[in-house]
Amino acid sequence: MAEKNPKYSRRDFLRNGTRISLLITLGTVGGISARHLTHEKYVWQIDPFKCTQCGRCATSCVMSPSAVKCLHAYDLCGYCDLCGGYLKSDPNKRSTAAENQLCPTAAIQRKYIEEPYFEYVINEDLCIGCAKCVKGCTSFGNGSLHLQIIQSRCLNCNECSIARLCPSDAISRVKGSKPYMVKGSFTKES
Amino acid sequence: MIQKKILNITIIVVSVVGIMMIIWWLTKDPTAKFSKSLPGLDKRGVGDTVSENVEIGKIFESNTLVYNELPGTWPRFRGVDFDNISKSPVRLKEKFGSKGPDIRWTLSLGEGHSGAAIYKGLVYVLDYNEKDKADLLRCLILKDGKELWRRGYHVTIKRNHGMSRTIPAINEKYIVTIGPRCHVMCLDRTTGNFRWGLDVAKEYAVEIPFWYTGQCPLIDNDIAVIATGGKALMVGISCETGKKLWETPNPDGWNMSHSSIMPFNFGGRKMYVYSAIGGMAGIAADGPDVGKVLWKTSAWNHSVVAPSPVCMPDGKIFITAGYGAGAMMLQLKKNGSAFSLNVLQQYLPRFGLACEQQTPVFWEGHLFGILPKDAGSLRNQFVCVDPYDCKKMVWSSGPTSRFGLGPYFIADNKFFILDDEGTLTIIKPSSSRYIQLDQAKVVKDGADAWAPMAIADGYLILRDSKTMTCINMNL
Repeated sequence: MAEKNPKYSRRDFLRNGTRISLLITLGTVGGISARHLTHEKYVWQIDPFKCTQCGRCATSCVMSPSAVKCLHAYDLCGYCDLCGGYLKSDPNKRSTAAENQLCPTAAIQRKYIEEPYFEYVINEDLCIGCAKCVKGCTSFGNGSLHLQIIQSRCLNCNECSIARLCPSDAISRVKGSKPYMVKGSFTKES
Repeated sequence: MIQKKILNITIIVVSVVGIMMIIWWLTKDPTAKFSKSLPGLDKRGVGDTVSENVEIGKIFESNTLVYNELPGTWPRFRGVDFDNISKSPVRLKEKFGSKGPDIRWTLSLGEGHSGAAIYKGLVYVLDYNEKDKADLLRCLILKDGKELWRRGYHVTIKRNHGMSRTIPAINEKYIVTIGPRCHVMCLDRTTGNFRWGLDVAKEYAVEIPFWYTGQCPLIDNDIAVIATGGKALMVGISCETGKKLWETPNPDGWNMSHSSIMPFNFGGRKMYVYSAIGGMAGIAADGPDVGKVLWKTSAWNHSVVAPSPVCMPDGKIFITAGYGAGAMMLQLKKNGSAFSLNVLQQYLPRFGLACEQQTPVFWEGHLFGILPKDAGSLRNQFVCVDPYDCKKMVWSSGPTSRFGLGPYFIADNKFFILDDEGTLTIIKPSSSRYIQLDQAKVVKDGADAWAPMAIADGYLILRDSKTMTCINMNL
């Protein structure tokens, strides 16, 4: 008959085993938490140089209105009176009348500075990310108007619904520490 | 009894609520929170705030330099025959070789797109000097780029996608220039002596075109021909005296465009074809009725027109413009002594040959041009079409050969195409396929290289927004 180990009973084994399991679990949870705290987050963003202004950002985002908005790189803008991003092509008049505006939601405000310069400011709340202005600006101007995913409005879905449909693969994950791919050297808050 | 009472109360309550809802529905304005987009919200100013008396021709500086006169000329916008095709017998390289382009000289210029004219060994360019605030016609020696003289005038120009953008017109005796703010200056060609000046904007109450004047002047039989818009559509002025010889009325109030006047012989008449903002017209260029409108149409009317009309021997006139306008092919016919015009084709830029800035080239029965950015998948490609159907591409340069808004012309049976960033491409003209011979970067850090090129005696003059470059293309 085998003798029982008087120094290490079954009870001790179970007790120590439970302690070790708890320690491992605690360590794992702590490690994961620490990793979350220190590991860099990734977010979705549009590369404005790849964007072909297809208009899907306005309709495919799970947010309504879309988290994609137009940004204006003021240092690239020509401040033109005849602005291809503000006015419909071949407009009757260069005025702020609704029939001359390209933006379907009147999200672009046009301000006279001095002859011959006009400034264009985007109202982010009105912008639906349709890219009509971006297309006009890219086709006829310097390309200062461009689309970006506004991170404060984005749900950062695992699978971005507009990235999935983007025909030019312009949307990808970028580091959370540099969440924007803004054209030019500066832009203004809307 | 109670049930009936409850029913009545219910009916009354429902009726009252229903009536209230109808009243609410009728009185509620669903657009109450809408804001109106009306003209004037931009608080546009009354107009041009710059008002100054410009003394045209006041500035003159010269240097004592020696140069050799050369036989070749490129005397104006689109060359000797207004077709952008050099007929010079000088043989040119078709490849740059292992050493690359033979760049003879470069010259810093004020920001802009004004191209050069070349006359007997001298280069003439209307530059804007931002420091001195002056339009300056600079006369340079073709072979080394040294400046012989400069003549100009002080005028304030603000940056607006460049400042200068016109090419002088030159003949044996005279030079005529148009500055950004519509100042016309006439000089003696060899000495640079001032003859006369004209402030077109002031004299003819003209709206200066967007981004400043793009119209290149014309000298025809020692007469300066300028499309003014405003109080007149076109005027002819004696280069010798500055006296107005004829004037075309402008009852429709057409405005000056960036397009230039193209002389055209058709149906036994010489005419000046001009695409204004408002329409296009053919003006009698000789005879007792010089200056009279022979034909006109408002079928072609766009807010910005930069390319000039391309007139073909069979009476077809091709006109195109950017900013979404597209293109139109017209057929001019002569019926007795009168002219009539039919629209053969009209389309948006994504459906056929259209150009934003440069004028297409008509060569061996085909039209060649670079499509604008809004031309869909063919954007910025160099294409060839048959004038009988400009919507059908005979060939295109392909997705790897795009050229932006840059200029192109033919010399020694070679097409020279400059892209926006200053890369020069040589192709073999063909109505069957795109044949690229060579390509090289000729402007370091080039940007907006949109000025038309010029060539004479094998020396090619081109520029980007800030630098003029001379390349020796002689074999």
